[in-house]
Amino acid sequence: MFLQQLLNGLTQGGTYALIAIGYTLIFGVLEIINMAHGEVFMIGAMVGYALVMLLGWGLVPALLGGMIGAALLGAVLEFTALRALRRKGVSNLAPLISTIGLGMVLQNLMIRFAGAEPLPFRVPLSSGVLKLGPLQATATQLVVLGVSLVLMILLQWTLSRTGLGRAVRAVSENAETAALLGVNVSGIVLATVMLASALGGAAGVLVGVSFVSVSAVMGLGYGLKGLAVIILGGLGNVSGAVAGGLLIGVLEAMTVAYGEAFSGYKDAVAFIFLFLILVVRPQGLFGQNAAVTRRS
Amino acid sequence: MRKGKGTRIAAFGVALAMTVGLLAGCGGGKEASPQSGGTGGTPAAEAKPLKVGAVFILSGNNAGYGLAQRPGVELAVEEINKAGGINGRMIEVTFEDSQGKTEEAVNAVRKLIDKDEVLAIIGPTLSGEMSSAGKVAQEAGVPILGVSTTAKGITDIGNFVFRNSLPEAGVLPYTVKAAREKYNLKKVAVLHAANDQFSVSGYNTFMEELKKQGIEVVVEASFNTGDREFGAQITKVLAANPDGLVVSSLYQEAALFMVQARQAGYKGPIIGGNGFNSPKLAEVAKEAAEGSIVGSPWFGGRDDAKVKAFVKAYTEKTGKAPDQFAAQAYDGMMLIAEALKQGGDNRDKIRDALAGIKNYVGVTGQFAFDENRNPVMTPFVLEIQGGQYVELKK
Amino acid sequence: MSYYLQVATFICISGILGLSVYLVLSTGQLTLGNAGFMLLGGYTAGLLAIRLGWPIWLTVPAGGLLAAVVAVPLGAATLRLRGVYLAIATLGFTQSLVVIANNLTITGGALGLKDIPNLAARLQRFLRGVLAEAPLGLTMAQFANLLVLLISAALLGLAYWLIVRQGKSRVGRAFTAIRTDEVAASAMGINTTYYKVLAFAQGAFLAGVAGGMMAHLTYFIGPNDFGFSRAVEMLVFVVVGGTAVPAGPVLGAALLRALSEYLREAKDLRLIVYGGLMMLMVLVRPQGLLTPGMFAGWRRRLGLGPRRPAPGKGAGA
Repeated sequence: MFLQQLLNGLTQGGTYALIAIGYTLIFGVLEIINMAHGEVFMIGAMVGYALVMLLGWGLVPALLGGMIGAALLGAVLEFTALRALRRKGVSNLAPLISTIGLGMVLQNLMIRFAGAEPLPFRVPLSSGVLKLGPLQATATQLVVLGVSLVLMILLQWTLSRTGLGRAVRAVSENAETAALLGVNVSGIVLATVMLASALGGAAGVLVGVSFVSVSAVMGLGYGLKGLAVIILGGLGNVSGAVAGGLLIGVLEAMTVAYGEAFSGYKDAVAFIFLFLILVVRPQGLFGQNAAVTRRS
Repeated sequence: MRKGKGTRIAAFGVALAMTVGLLAGCGGGKEASPQSGGTGGTPAAEAKPLKVGAVFILSGNNAGYGLAQRPGVELAVEEINKAGGINGRMIEVTFEDSQGKTEEAVNAVRKLIDKDEVLAIIGPTLSGEMSSAGKVAQEAGVPILGVSTTAKGITDIGNFVFRNSLPEAGVLPYTVKAAREKYNLKKVAVLHAANDQFSVSGYNTFMEELKKQGIEVVVEASFNTGDREFGAQITKVLAANPDGLVVSSLYQEAALFMVQARQAGYKGPIIGGNGFNSPKLAEVAKEAAEGSIVGSPWFGGRDDAKVKAFVKAYTEKTGKAPDQFAAQAYDGMMLIAEALKQGGDNRDKIRDALAGIKNYVGVTGQFAFDENRNPVMTPFVLEIQGGQYVELKK
Repeated sequence: MSYYLQVATFICISGILGLSVYLVLSTGQLTLGNAGFMLLGGYTAGLLAIRLGWPIWLTVPAGGLLAAVVAVPLGAATLRLRGVYLAIATLGFTQSLVVIANNLTITGGALGLKDIPNLAARLQRFLRGVLAEAPLGLTMAQFANLLVLLISAALLGLAYWLIVRQGKSRVGRAFTAIRTDEVAASAMGINTTYYKVLAFAQGAFLAGVAGGMMAHLTYFIGPNDFGFSRAVEMLVFVVVGGTAVPAGPVLGAALLRALSEYLREAKDLRLIVYGGLMMLMVLVRPQGLLTPGMFAGWRRRLGLGPRRPAPGKGAGA
């Protein structure tokens, strides 16, 4: 049972990790939390839904479609809610509120279009089950886990081996210095937001596939979890986000499995665990320094 | 600091606040209520409309319910108005959104009572909201009818509080008995969603009922509404080898759960509470839902003219088949209309008329209020065959 | 009539909540935990009234006190956290409380706490006993609602006045110093731990009182009334209204709550418009509607001298 729950947890955790990476990338370059990220995730899922259920596309094209749709939304986000607020050199509370407002708008717009209930989302996948000793993995689980891993590896490669990745890291480190070195900071910021959103959108499609449905209100819960994950992993740290996501997924699975009385508390597990970690390590598990910026 | 500009902006801000306040205050009487169906271009159109209010959850996490309930009420109003209204007067319904928050539900009900001066109120969606809004209506002497509130003790709030939504305690005994007889259940697993009112009250009732009927609960697990992954619970539950699974949750989670349970190899029956009552359950879960059992006041597949007409009209209006929430909202509005016939503009008389309804046939079947203003009706026990609900064959 | 009185009463409660966030923010701590403290205060007051029959004027402060007591260890535990880390940690606190409230029997679980004694109803019964007829041509119910509004406004006014006073005192200066540069403040001998925890506890007290009042105003409270959206709403009051003066959150609360009610006219577009307006307000005026410099400007125009030397311009948003 333990191994099975571990697998369950890792699968769920993979999606948490993808969402968390999105948050942490944006934080890295902009030092703000994009509170609309949960809705970007949701819209990625909805785009995937539309492509599969209404146009009959297959899984991979739908995934790409979802990612592109989310990336475009990210661009919209950058131009409406974020860019203008950077010009004035204001505290980072303002973009926080601005993204909250945008999230509200996105969610309710989607409710108007698609209603608030779950929409059945069936992707043509075999219903086979792979058995490896005591473990059982459905095709769905394998796909979700597999795609998550592939995306994370691709991202890691992009960040460490490509020019774009280097520029993103430079801007995350210190935007002014990067500018002095000739990096087109606002272009990189846009690219990062779009990349982060694409990953969020991918997570949305994967969650939709896992759970056979998408809905206009799916962004809230995952958005919150994503926040817990990034803090756990350390803000701005991509590997931290991955580790944090997987860890939280496994913790939740274990709580349900081993603590019968506690299964109702599953959603609190992420936060309680986070809290305990922060008390001991205020920068999160993998964070660099106790975040010095005091721009509250 | 840009003093001049700062001052101007501040002044603007304060003025804005005051203007908004004034507008909210003076905007009385101009609320945009949706057009009540038939236009009644008759002399009777000069007669004052009969105003009814409805509070549902139309946004946020639980908007699915309210968005299904509202068209039910709208349909009823359209039908009534098309047929000439009540004593020649049209019904005008104003919908308010409670967003699932207590504060909003209270504001909504107060607005309907004070500003819109409605004669009766339908809703709110959740039992918790009714615990608050119902009291407000009671204190103000406005009849309020819950069409989806199923927790215990709702009508204890006061004699102006009614409900036509059969509480779990009125349905589950039938469900459990039928399932037990068909599948010879001796030991079951019980799962429930721990964080929503429908599921928790359903769970409580299930546990009582299972005990009463001598069925042993060998393992329990819980999850949360909004969860989409149940691997952990399934593993735990199947390990105890139950004869049947009893699930008290809303249909979204139930559907996902079923799919995953079947994938994990569970072949036995799945019995559900109120939350299973939706055509969406089978849509989402497909084959996994076959054989699922639920008791319901609403059975859309019934061979009855009224039911068929309602299903057709609702599906045309919204593009979706009506679920239990829609059906009860529709019947609820019809009940209010009956009361309006006798009570006219007098809220007390309307209340009395409502309480006196003993023999009404709605799309959910034969209906009466008992002396506590709770519904008296016999639910159907249904199972899913071929993706559709049919009456349970023993 | 009662509708407007009700909305205005809720605005006063929202104002208190805004002030509670403001207090904590004035030491530079970004908190989303006050919704959790509101939950604690609300359930405490409700349970004391239902189970022990305590009167409302006792249950509400009791709720506030409990919240403040819980805030002390929480504040101490989160001392080393900054910025977003603190915000999410406090959010975690709030979310955890919501989940706990959802699961405990004593709080009614997901079904919430109902039949909480209601302030307006109590007042009404009392008034019927002493007055033959309500003054001002109102019904007794309306008069009771008016009194409830006055009580809530008085609480808001009291909180506001105390905060303004504290702002001018040594405590207030310490808060500002910590907000501007915690390391420097500490180096200058200010006991940052004490002041940060103090602000945290004071904010919690106010939030707890607001929660208790809310419970006694709505007959019912449930865990969902105190979650993420509540926490965010309180923060928005402050950011939109102004983070550096106490009048800011009050104005923000009044404006946003009134706007939200008014937008009922917008029917299905209500939340879309509300979200859009929120974005707009922050875009047009990112430092909030009211800023300290503004007051200095007004005083100058009115010919009054400066009230006190501004403690360094760093106090601005």
